[in-house]
Amino acid sequence: MDQAAVHLIGLDFGSTTSSVLVAKARIGHHGLTGRMTLEAPQVIYRPEPVFTPFRGTDIDDVAIEALLDRWLGASGLAAPDFFAGGTIITGLAALRDNAAILARAVGARIGEGVVATAADPCLESWLAFMGSCSMLSRVHADRAVLNLDIGGGTTNPALGRNGAVTATGCHYVGARHFQVQPGSYRLTAMSEHGRALLHALGIVRKIGEELSQTHLEAILDWYIAALEAIVQGDRAFFATPVGRMHEQVAFPGAKDAAVTFSGGVGELLYRRATGEPMPSTTHFGDLGIDLAERIATSPRLSRDLRNLVPEQRGRATVYGLALHSTEVSGATLCLPDGGALPLRDLPIVARLSMNADAATIDAAVALARRHARGACIQVLGVAAVHEHVKLLGERFEKALGSHPSCDHTLVLLLEANVGKTLGNYATSWGKMPNGLIVLDEMPDRQAHFANLGRMRDGVVPVAFYGMY
Amino acid sequence: MQPIKPLADIVVPDPKSDEVYETRVLDRSFRFTGLKALLGAADISKAGDRIAGLAASDDVTREAARQALSGLTLQHLYDRPLTDDHGRVDAVMRVNYDIDLRAFVSIAKMSLGALKDHLLRCPPAEVMRVGSALTGVMAAALVKLLDVHEMVLVARKARRSAKARTMLGLPGTLSSRLQPNHPSDNLDGITMLVYAGLSMGGGDQLIGVNPAIDTVDNVGALLRHLDMLRSSTGAPSQICVLSHVKTQLACLERGDPVEILFQSLAGTDCTLTEEFDVTVDLLDQAYVAMGQRGPLRGVADAWMYFETGQGSELTYGKHNGMDMAVCEGLCYGLARRYDPFMVNNVTGFIGPETHCDNHEMIVSNLQDHCMGKLMGLPMGMAPCYTLHSKITLEGQQMATQLLTAAGSNYYMDVYLHTDRMLAYFDTSGHDNQTLREVHGLRPAPEFLRWAVERGIFVEGSDGAVLRGPQWGNPRAFCKSDVELQRLLESLPAAHGLENAGPRPADRVSRAMRANLAVGREAVYADLRLDVIAGIPFRSIRTDAKNREEHLNDPELGARLADEVRSQLRAEHNDVQIVVSDGLSAEAIHHNVPSLLPVLLDGLRSRQCKIGQPILAPFGRVKLAEAIGDALEAKLTLVLIGERPGGDALASRSMSAYFAYRLDEHGVRTEAAHFSGNPEVRYEYSVVSNIYAGGLPPIEAGSVVAEKVMQILTHKAAGNRLERLLSRKASANDQDR
Repeated sequence: MDQAAVHLIGLDFGSTTSSVLVAKARIGHHGLTGRMTLEAPQVIYRPEPVFTPFRGTDIDDVAIEALLDRWLGASGLAAPDFFAGGTIITGLAALRDNAAILARAVGARIGEGVVATAADPCLESWLAFMGSCSMLSRVHADRAVLNLDIGGGTTNPALGRNGAVTATGCHYVGARHFQVQPGSYRLTAMSEHGRALLHALGIVRKIGEELSQTHLEAILDWYIAALEAIVQGDRAFFATPVGRMHEQVAFPGAKDAAVTFSGGVGELLYRRATGEPMPSTTHFGDLGIDLAERIATSPRLSRDLRNLVPEQRGRATVYGLALHSTEVSGATLCLPDGGALPLRDLPIVARLSMNADAATIDAAVALARRHARGACIQVLGVAAVHEHVKLLGERFEKALGSHPSCDHTLVLLLEANVGKTLGNYATSWGKMPNGLIVLDEMPDRQAHFANLGRMRDGVVPVAFYGMY
Repeated sequence: MQPIKPLADIVVPDPKSDEVYETRVLDRSFRFTGLKALLGAADISKAGDRIAGLAASDDVTREAARQALSGLTLQHLYDRPLTDDHGRVDAVMRVNYDIDLRAFVSIAKMSLGALKDHLLRCPPAEVMRVGSALTGVMAAALVKLLDVHEMVLVARKARRSAKARTMLGLPGTLSSRLQPNHPSDNLDGITMLVYAGLSMGGGDQLIGVNPAIDTVDNVGALLRHLDMLRSSTGAPSQICVLSHVKTQLACLERGDPVEILFQSLAGTDCTLTEEFDVTVDLLDQAYVAMGQRGPLRGVADAWMYFETGQGSELTYGKHNGMDMAVCEGLCYGLARRYDPFMVNNVTGFIGPETHCDNHEMIVSNLQDHCMGKLMGLPMGMAPCYTLHSKITLEGQQMATQLLTAAGSNYYMDVYLHTDRMLAYFDTSGHDNQTLREVHGLRPAPEFLRWAVERGIFVEGSDGAVLRGPQWGNPRAFCKSDVELQRLLESLPAAHGLENAGPRPADRVSRAMRANLAVGREAVYADLRLDVIAGIPFRSIRTDAKNREEHLNDPELGARLADEVRSQLRAEHNDVQIVVSDGLSAEAIHHNVPSLLPVLLDGLRSRQCKIGQPILAPFGRVKLAEAIGDALEAKLTLVLIGERPGGDALASRSMSAYFAYRLDEHGVRTEAAHFSGNPEVRYEYSVVSNIYAGGLPPIEAGSVVAEKVMQILTHKAAGNRLERLLSRKASANDQDR
């Protein structure tokens, strides 16, 4: 146990509920791959989700601050205790100024190491898959697994194989487009997607009126058809005007994939599947319970409900945020000044191979230099030979010399474990301080942005967001 | 709690000067000067005793020694306590004289030959009575006269049980010590190995981890984790983390569950104190502390766990002129003082410098088991090997068949033979079950009841214990497939969970054996100059003239051949790089061509004066000092192949040892003060695990270059350097 124990946090602020999860893990070499990793995670604090506090459609900043204080107090941890983590803000919580208010509150209380991202649907899909069924997917390494993360506002599908996500999407299919009085189906609120759906279905109902059983069936039929279309890759379904409106990020589908669920509706589904009692009619003031009941009757959607149960049974995003939002760099890196960290919101301006030629590298460095706060370049490929690393380093040194800057930081994110050596060649073994940081053992997360946390025990936490 | 007799109260005769023992075989006369020489010559020829110059040169000489030994009375041995190199009776020898003197009087006039016949003729109770009257030297002398069948017969009469949560060593039982070692003490990996072992009916003796890091915090965390696994599975057993006794006592003080206290023993006081950092007084205190405050007090009748094995005193050069079996017998005399719960013998662990082949290992194991049992100890056996010896899996299996016939209490359970932390090969859970089935044995009764409830075993109507539906299924301890997957992903060299009867499925065996073969090939591969042809080496020779010598006597590879030493002149460089195959030429082939160019670029960038790199086949780490002295380099950097373990890729693992020569007076004074050793001449740092699956060689080139610069800048290496760097980092943080 040479690894240091670190604390991680995940925060999920959605339209309906907000969740937190605190975990403890150790930084160490993976037993099989040898890569630095966060291992042996243990959830040490996971209270029940609470309703996201709003004043009308605006986030209630006072209540949010009190909520964060309460969570922190109960977890027994303070801001400096957290090594990394993530906050995701979705739906109503991400609208207008809400996201900024939430991000500020999180930053003030939990620290700059915890990244807040809003309206990043593919990241949400990815996190849900990683938090819910990445390990399950590795158990069944030769099967495609499709996770449907169904929350209040959206369904975020992610397809993966052997633990790795291969496709993500996002659709406005969720429990909370129709809000009702708990215990009844009397409408209290509708989203624009809900209104459009009613219109498309020829249903005329206003706030304060009750949805009939026929109306409810029609709405749920459409949602089930939409979910089945997502799974089957039925593009025609989303080609209609109402279908197009409900699709934010198209998803290719996977006809033979095993289907798992997460999110609030997913959690209800697994409760039902294991015979646990379901909450009373519209207990949560939305159609989540009804949607879960109907999914359970869809042969395609429910096929794997009992034989492939994800570990978190629905609490996927917050688990994914805590455990998977952050990658850990290798332990040998090029970081001339540890005080340069943390670095936030760095755009990833280029993705290069280990054999990238001088012109390509020069262009990438020129692009990076345009971003005043610094930028990242990914260098992909795990295999490396000495001559290539040396040449690559020398090309970067030349490019950095061609685009000089006294205070700009360029971060190279290497997939191969050669960060220190590449950095040495790119800086003439430290004689040419050119604002270069090289982190290695960074997997390709296909993201637009990265946040670098402070170094701890020789490694740097890196969070990605803005997924393709 | 058994009272401990104060050392001063143990009566030991005054040492006597060496006598000459003369005998004849046909027309050849033989003279052996002193008991140590006689005892050494009477044993089978073993590598360690050959290196020490104690082994008989031929079979006739050996039989002559045995003839002379056979005629000596026990009183003769009693009257001549063997002394240390200063002519004194050391503490270990003194403890060995704490025997049942009344029983001794009844056998004192027997010759060793007569004693042997008596033990073969008499019932078990008399064997136990006689055993209580023997010192370690007497027991060792006796086993040198026994053949294999005789060692099996005598040991079989000397059953010895011990009780903690489980009752071990009962007739008809065979237990196992689960050894879930992980190279980084990864708790998931350890859990996986515990589940795998328990599912095969292993662990009724003990669940014990050898920690990778011997700190109170780490050992405490491991103890708590094992305790959690034990209680959550409900397995009736006891736990232990095999750290230094001082670490365990510190854990005990802070309330960690130190159920069984472990310590390695040695048969000479100088090895015990100088190498193991343990004294008899400390062991006495530990025994009492556990009796008074151990968590199993009131439950366990015994709580000490000792590990021994022929050869440790010899490898440290602290055997006081005694052969390996005699030193081992003395270990048992020391262990007996604490009425231990278990004694584990790991003869074969060290390597070919003590036991080079199956014959030596098997016979030594039988000797050790026989000595230990005769002296009243609950002996478990771990016939084991490393890949740089010629001991094989088949030899290990033959040893276990014989030792089971002899009544060994338990074996180790190392999953698929491969200890992932210690890089050696021990018995497995599959072996234990095979032996139980072949010899009609069962686990300890409390454990068996639990295992039947869990479906691991079933009891037939005739009372036979058979494998149950859950035998070999660690999934039964996991909440889900996902949990099993997570545990499996933390475990190297896990080649599969499928079984065929009590054995691993063939697919699993083939993968495991292929890994062994790759590792062994790495040891025996020759350095191929074509692979490293691009590097302008100068070649030198060590005192090891061939691989056989290199493997069997580590000292030879640490010395320069005479003609080389006479040719080397002082060059006064900053750095001298030395490349040696060590125990894996493949490690050099796969790492040096990538590492060295980076390293040289790095050193040249700092204007280091670098000597022409040296290639030294058949070298050891300590060769650094011979070369450093001859060339008067400030720093000698040895890139050397490590001993292969069970992972095929890891057989290509190389280390970089930095030997910093303390030639400046002030620096040497600081180093002497820091280490407490006024004679210190070199300080060492190391970067290990250099291979594709660890620290890749290209990256290692930079890491090594930076370490070189740190050492030269700070004029320090090893712990002293790390302390200086740590202080500097703290100062920088404060400035920031």
